[in-house]
Amino acid sequence: MTEFRKMADRFEQMLAAEKIGKYTFCLTESEKQELNVENGSFKLMRTVFNNNGSLTVFADNRKGSAGGNDITEEGLKKLIGDARAAAESSPADPCHDIAPDQGKHVFRQGVQEADLDGFVSRIREFLDTVAKDYPKVRVMMAIGSFDTWHWLSRNTNGTEFEGFGGQYGFSIEICATDREKTTGLNYTGVSMKSLDRPLIEIGEIRNKLEDIQNSIYPDTLEGKFEGTVILTPDCAQEFLFMLMQNYISSSVIMDGTSLWLDKVGEQVASEKLTVALKPFDDRIINGERGTGDGFLAEDVTLIEKGVLKTHWLNLYAANKTGRPVVKNTGSDLVVEPGDTALADIIASVDKGLILGGFSGGQPGTNGEFSGVAKNSFLIENGKIKNAVTETMVNGNLGEIVRNIRAVSKELCVDGGMVMPYIAVDGVVVSGK
Amino acid sequence: MLQDVIGSKTALFSDGVQTVLRGHENRNRRVVLLKGDVVQNSRSDARGTSARVNMNGTFGFASIAEYSPEAAERVIKAATENAVFLAKHSGRNIALPKAPGSGVIPLNREIEDTEQKEIIELCQMVDRYVAEHCPELTSRVIVYTEDSQDRIVYSSDACSGHLVTPRCYIYVNMTAESKAGVPVEMFKAFGGFGSFRDNFSKPEEMFPEIDRLYQKVMDKREGVYAEAGYKTVVLGGMMGGMLAHEAVGHTVEADLVAGGSVAGPNLNKRVASDLVTMVDFAHTYEGKQAPLPVYLDDEGIKAEDAELIRNGILTGYMNDRESAEKYGMIPKGNARAWTFSDEPIIRMRNTCILPGKNTVEELIASVDDGYYLIDSGNGQADLTGEFMFGVTCGYEIKNGKLGKALLDTTVTGVAFEMLKTVDMVSDTVEWSSSGFCGKKQPMAVGMGGPHMRCKIMIGGR
Repeated sequence: MTEFRKMADRFEQMLAAEKIGKYTFCLTESEKQELNVENGSFKLMRTVFNNNGSLTVFADNRKGSAGGNDITEEGLKKLIGDARAAAESSPADPCHDIAPDQGKHVFRQGVQEADLDGFVSRIREFLDTVAKDYPKVRVMMAIGSFDTWHWLSRNTNGTEFEGFGGQYGFSIEICATDREKTTGLNYTGVSMKSLDRPLIEIGEIRNKLEDIQNSIYPDTLEGKFEGTVILTPDCAQEFLFMLMQNYISSSVIMDGTSLWLDKVGEQVASEKLTVALKPFDDRIINGERGTGDGFLAEDVTLIEKGVLKTHWLNLYAANKTGRPVVKNTGSDLVVEPGDTALADIIASVDKGLILGGFSGGQPGTNGEFSGVAKNSFLIENGKIKNAVTETMVNGNLGEIVRNIRAVSKELCVDGGMVMPYIAVDGVVVSGK
Repeated sequence: MLQDVIGSKTALFSDGVQTVLRGHENRNRRVVLLKGDVVQNSRSDARGTSARVNMNGTFGFASIAEYSPEAAERVIKAATENAVFLAKHSGRNIALPKAPGSGVIPLNREIEDTEQKEIIELCQMVDRYVAEHCPELTSRVIVYTEDSQDRIVYSSDACSGHLVTPRCYIYVNMTAESKAGVPVEMFKAFGGFGSFRDNFSKPEEMFPEIDRLYQKVMDKREGVYAEAGYKTVVLGGMMGGMLAHEAVGHTVEADLVAGGSVAGPNLNKRVASDLVTMVDFAHTYEGKQAPLPVYLDDEGIKAEDAELIRNGILTGYMNDRESAEKYGMIPKGNARAWTFSDEPIIRMRNTCILPGKNTVEELIASVDDGYYLIDSGNGQADLTGEFMFGVTCGYEIKNGKLGKALLDTTVTGVAFEMLKTVDMVSDTVEWSSSGFCGKKQPMAVGMGGPHMRCKIMIGGR
């Protein structure tokens, strides 16, 4: 640890010697221990020792960045040369800047010491439980990863952030088979601070196993209808990130193409929807602490009871557009639960889908989405029917958040997000 | 470029296991101009050393962010320890694949670096051209992206070699507004394998294509939604390439076959009309360099073409050494890793459906009521062969003539059913190489295809 700080001190000396007056840098060292299961048995163990150095130089309002994993003196010297050359090649733009002095802070998050034997046991337990409870499910791939990292960032405004993080991660890729009949793939992942719970009980893992086993003999839909789609938590997260990217992110506000360009303070979604980025929520593991611009990260509510509270702007975009900066560049999505049980939401649907996954083209700034419903089930007259195949869903991101029928009481907590089921109306579902 | 400093450490390879030692460097250069403003301007380099040890079917892999003889020693030791640790739990006892033959694959080319200043000046030139010649746009984004791999591979019982794969692209993204005030977007990638100078020494050669892109965006402003349903379409060459990669390619990767993909029970059976032949090319196509040539993979296998479908019959899979042994096939060099810290897994290289005999004009003229689908933004596929492509550029076909442009939509189908509906194939192939395939790790891949007439599910309102 001392060596790491010495390295940062030395980097600052080198930057001073090069007479670079404004910069921000971050040095990181990390370690990964990864256990890989293929088709039900342990196949590979992977270890990664990595470093990363990143430097952004501001020279007369010209900005250039360089990165690399060589953080020896020679590597740092190269970073300085590359970042300076990039900055000096760039046109001047007074909107480039770094956050004012945030003080000095040390962050300790997650878990630092791995129990690899315990992790192997938990994965083995998971494989045994799947074999017993879901005999038709194949665990094509399961990855148990224990990651630790240590980072230190400083800038010329006086800020110093130092972070120590670590977590267990577990992700699966599964299918189900019966004789020669195979389902499509389904996958999910979770992050954990400890191994105190069986892996199958965390996040959406058990739901995914249940769904895939019930999907071996799907139906093909005939024709099309406009109905209700219940977004499962993983799917809701994907749709909300697409919405944020296309309606409130820095790029679409800067270029003026966002359909919510002048909607801050206005009702843009159903009052049932409250969306926030909450890195300090206890349910989020290793939430963001320092932003890419050098601010101390904050919890930020983006949409509150359907009202757009802010765009999601970094410092450059804020300076460019004269709008407020958001001190959050992370992805720690927390959506408030509703007051309806999932079972009651399903019971209220005349015709629709439970959307387990979405395989579609990237929506543009008009918000139109079109894609294939994956791992999805038909709902008719309030009852869940069979799984569907070759079924497409089409709609508009801006419209579906206005047409929210219900948000579930139940929440998925997987270490990276807190997400309910969200039922939306007005989606076109089409079959063959 | 990497100099060979790890070769002497092959003396540390143990008997009774298969070991691969790799030095690996990735470089990235990126500049983004949004309406003329430089919003990203960065360079990065990452290098390191890795080793993989196969101990009777249990694999240990270790990597470190350092490229040196000492690093090579450490990763060989750590990879061996990882294999020993996991062997206690794996229960695998699989005979090591037989040695495929050894040799040395020579360095295929040098990597040339480019100063950031030149990159920014090129982006600014392209941006100025778009600003001056495309007046109806509401936004424009010019992206320069360059990535390269430089790998030195030593195998205990296969080939060794030194390979580099540089590629660079300029993406021109255009946004305009429809009469209803709704944004419509389209992009085009320029560039390919090679250095900045290989691809962009005559930037003015991009201008006619930029003009055509602008015209397509103007058409799309007046665009209509596709009518959802099962339609006759002409897939353009870029879509044909996406089909080759997503819809068929992934299902015939042997690790997915082992997982239960639809290709398992269909080997040596008809999966497409007899007009369809498909090959994963290693490095050469029709006597010329393939878009992203691969001469040696990261298990030390000398790369050769892998035939997948011949005249509609599924004839093979893409394999690594272990899966080839399992399926009684020959490994053709498909085990690839993206960065120094990645283990090799089965990946495509230059996957292509071969051309047929019709002209593109004949295909379009043959459709009474359908769609001409030209460009795709992204695609995904499933074990079942169910695939999805986002369509970013397309037109109606009415009575054999092109009609109105389409707004963004998506097509889907089940590969081995959809390919049986292919009844006309054009005599030319279009290639793309700018994309990344995602499968645990990213990977640069080439994909190509002819125009094809077929039936497909299209999404719409």
